[in-house]
Amino acid sequence: MATSKTPNAAAPSAAEAVAPAVLRRAHFLMHLSRAWDSRFEAMARVGRIGRWYSAVGNECTTIGTALALGAGDALSTVHRDLGAVLTTYLDATRLAPTLFDAADATAWDALRPDPSALLDRLASQVFGRREGFTRGVDRSFHYGLLRPEWGIRHVGMISHLGSMIPVASGLALAAVQDHTDRVALGFIGEGATSQGDFHEALNFAGVMKLPLILVVENNQYAFSTPLSEQYACARLSDRAAGYGIAGETVDGLDFEAVHVAMRAAVARARAGDGATLLECMLPRMRGHAEGDGSYELIPPAEREGYLAMDPLPRFEARLAALGLADAARCAKVQETAKAIIEDAVERAIVGADPSLDEALRPVFAPGEVAEAFARMSTEVFDG
Amino acid sequence: MAETTYLDAIRRALGEEMERDAGVFLMGQDIAAFGGAFRASKGLYEKFGRLRVINTPLMESGAIGAALGAALAGHRPVLEMQFADFVSCGFNQIVNNVAKTYYRWEAPVPMVIRLPFGGGAGAGPFHSQSPEAWFAHTPGLCVVAPSTPRDALGMLKSAIRDPNPVIFLEHRFLYRREKEELPEGDVLTPLGKARVVRSGTDVTVLSWSWTLHESLAAADELAKDGVSVEVIDLRTLSPLDEETIFASVRKTSKVLVVHEATLTAGFGAELAARVGEQCVEWLDGPVRRVAYADRPSPYNKKLEQRLLPGRERITRALRALARY
Ligand SMILES: Cc1ncc(C[n+]2csc(CCOP(=O)(O)OP(=O)(O)O)c2C)c(N)n1
Ligand SMILES: [Mg+2]
Repeated sequence: MATSKTPNAAAPSAAEAVAPAVLRRAHFLMHLSRAWDSRFEAMARVGRIGRWYSAVGNECTTIGTALALGAGDALSTVHRDLGAVLTTYLDATRLAPTLFDAADATAWDALRPDPSALLDRLASQVFGRREGFTRGVDRSFHYGLLRPEWGIRHVGMISHLGSMIPVASGLALAAVQDHTDRVALGFIGEGATSQGDFHEALNFAGVMKLPLILVVENNQYAFSTPLSEQYACARLSDRAAGYGIAGETVDGLDFEAVHVAMRAAVARARAGDGATLLECMLPRMRGHAEGDGSYELIPPAEREGYLAMDPLPRFEARLAALGLADAARCAKVQETAKAIIEDAVERAIVGADPSLDEALRPVFAPGEVAEAFARMSTEVFDG
Repeated sequence: MAETTYLDAIRRALGEEMERDAGVFLMGQDIAAFGGAFRASKGLYEKFGRLRVINTPLMESGAIGAALGAALAGHRPVLEMQFADFVSCGFNQIVNNVAKTYYRWEAPVPMVIRLPFGGGAGAGPFHSQSPEAWFAHTPGLCVVAPSTPRDALGMLKSAIRDPNPVIFLEHRFLYRREKEELPEGDVLTPLGKARVVRSGTDVTVLSWSWTLHESLAAADELAKDGVSVEVIDLRTLSPLDEETIFASVRKTSKVLVVHEATLTAGFGAELAARVGEQCVEWLDGPVRRVAYADRPSPYNKKLEQRLLPGRERITRALRALARY
């Protein structure tokens, strides 16, 4: 990475080994996430969708962290966290039965619903279709899914970056108030760490010893702004000391390093030992949004360096070394993931738009306030 | 029976709702053992403990965002801003995150943000503002401003029970000055309903909170001239009880809006517009407004009094309107 801000985590020791079932699931989820990005990037290139914020390169970080969560833990995501959403939502073993053994299914999978129905809703969400989570009123990852009976408690983003960090702290606070050992995982780009909400929320998490893990996806740039213009500390994880919480910087391309660091953070949080700021160093493998010209601003040699750091081949080499996947298995995983995404996206493309009445749906949950709102004239007189 | 102050009514509402529902909890600066800058939560920390009466660090945005997270986890946070003026530091969380959540993905956000607001104390530009219009402009927020101890009690209890975010404006000047006997038991005031406080036939006054009391005093003055003034306490500004307002306007044909917030783009502008749009056939005069002059609130009390919309200005405005 073209920066002095390099990882400080040691390679996982034997005692910290990651179970083969976790590695196999991660492999599939990475390809699923990558296939999704490839499909939408292609559509953005030909103008079939307006904008696409790619998560290519972030997969080890988003999936490596989310795989350390358990049913009922809370997840708060921003714009490059598809991997964490897929990991949390989907029973991968049911979605791709040809890739997994029965023994690969977890206790959480037993709670999860039909994965392909959820994937369809996710694709519909991106297209603003009727079957999407917001039924057309908000964009791609701007929604939440609170289904405790499925073990899923996900709060998506608003556009205002940084704003979700306090919300994640509140999800963690509720876990303490409820006397449970559930934790909250939040994501944020390195650019948004400059927001005041980052400071307020981490300070609060420190004071209250909240079971919060905030993962910083440090991909070297925020839109066009490089790290040198974003912050002046050596590592963002150094800020943890200022909040009295744990902090660590890891290589965000090293699945096992990320997962092991996250497991430790989750264990601390569950034990009542408070929050962790986990900085994952990532290369900038794509521009801010596809086709917005921001990638071209990065010097070509630096860009080439980032593209050569693709975490997927690296992860597959590691799987091969561990004897968990040969070339044939890798090809099968990739093909299976691609086909699943292709199907979901095709269905969403031809999906129905929401009825126009959705635009005027209530802003209040049912009750006397909602009733009063319904009695009031809320449209301009145009007749 | 002893009289209850507006402030005691707030404390009673908090205590009763915390007793009734274990999910209700308080957050704010200095609210625990100290009981808050105005002592609204005095005694509740001792009773409900540190996980239900939470002292936060000096932050607004972070506290409002955390309250949203807790609300999404099924809890019912009641947040105190130390002074309403400081809510501006949490503005983004309220108007973008809290207010829009239900419309976006239909997750209820049961949350109350209490704002001790208003002038009259010579507290200067940053401890005197009336911020209701900032929030009434945002879809998805219920904005209320009770004027009596009974409504302070009944509306706070209703607000805590409602599954939506409620901006709850409590006038500092009323905290210890307004007292009345309150019934025992579960006192609830519905949200979204105005109240005709004084009925009359010649002019309608629309007001809330401190200026409601000033308007009532002005109505007494007008009665001496033989002018019958109807005074309506809006209580809830958003969503607005148009039915009660329009019924009164159709009866009196004249409307004066009185609020403590500054004039331009204040909530009175909204009321005047709605009355103009929907009652113009009934009007016998202009819809007039009495409000704070378009200035920050001065520190020197005499200067502040010069700008506050008190009973004398309201009386003059009513007399002028009555002549139409
Ligand atoms: C509060 C706020 N200000 C500005 C923006 C516009 N904006 C969108 S993404 C972005 C850069 C984000 O950078 P970073 O947090 O590093 O995330 P990345 O896109 O690199 O993953 C900016 C400035 C925003 N969304 N929110
Ligand atoms: Mg970045």
